[in-house]
Amino acid sequence: MNKKRQVTEEEVTELYLFTRKHFVEHYDVQSELVDHLANDIEQIWLEHPQLPFDKARDLSFKKFGVFGFMDVVEKKQKAMHKKYWKILWRFVKEWFTLPKIISTALIFMLYFSLFQVPYSIHILFGAFVVWALYDLIRFAQNRRKNKVKKQAEKRWLLQDMIGETRGGFSFLTFVNFFNIINLLKIDFGTLPFYWLALFATLGTLLTIVFYVSAVVLPQKATQLLEETYPEYKMQ
Amino acid sequence: MGNQKLYKGSLQTIILKLLANTDKMYGYEITQKVKELTQGELNITEGALYPALHKLEADGLLEVEVAKIGNRMRKYYKLTEQGTKETVGKLAEMQEFLRTMERLVSPKLSLD
Repeated sequence: MNKKRQVTEEEVTELYLFTRKHFVEHYDVQSELVDHLANDIEQIWLEHPQLPFDKARDLSFKKFGVFGFMDVVEKKQKAMHKKYWKILWRFVKEWFTLPKIISTALIFMLYFSLFQVPYSIHILFGAFVVWALYDLIRFAQNRRKNKVKKQAEKRWLLQDMIGETRGGFSFLTFVNFFNIINLLKIDFGTLPFYWLALFATLGTLLTIVFYVSAVVLPQKATQLLEETYPEYKMQ
Repeated sequence: MGNQKLYKGSLQTIILKLLANTDKMYGYEITQKVKELTQGELNITEGALYPALHKLEADGLLEVEVAKIGNRMRKYYKLTEQGTKETVGKLAEMQEFLRTMERLVSPKLSLD
């Protein structure tokens, strides 16, 4: 009786390379696809035990359609994006519990009183542009550093979202918000109390979301990765 | 092989139902199980299965467990508590859908 032909460890390594070659950059997505391909190849071997590994692999890959792994990767990014925002929201909510609610109130008061100072919006806008530039420089430096690491290391999709893309929420979003206010030519000195309160609330919320995405999440990266990927701890 | 498009909208319900019957399953196992249960009628494509699984996971309906097999990582999916609840609702919706289709496709021409 023939023993069932199995994908060897070397072949698994080859499959990892194969997924990377087909634009799957992240280890978490690669792993799942590798296991899938390996299972399918073994299934193909049940019928054609003599078929070379490469041929069986190509047969299996064909089943993913003309776009190959692209669809899976794209949708995975979307799903992870959703997850990122859920995590972000979890930490933002913490700002409304004791003792952090005190800092939240302070940020609110700061905005609220600043808005009442003449030309406050220009002061704020100027400060944010400087901050944004600093943030962008740091961002670019990190990116360069990561590029060097890129080839050798396993990369995780969520890790990249926490570190590089911040789920698409960059400091520029922040600057844009103030830019819009600026363009609307709102004179804060003449605005009634509740409008000031609303703008101060928005400013506070944006500040917190920005702080959580730029500082809190990167600090908690390891914990979050372990939570999201059971395989992260197995390395 | 039937028209695969007709099954497309039901993929999530199919996955949830399968997982409700077993403790945990991995992607490839799901495709094989569906093939077996439908005697080859429904062939879930790889390009559709994983996006559906990842979406259900991101929505909190599924959770994952990973087992190491040699240097292969096998990712198992199982229902979360929320997923179990959702399955009941989705199956009820599906039954309703099937009844409606039945009425539309083969209306009973009776006098009562």
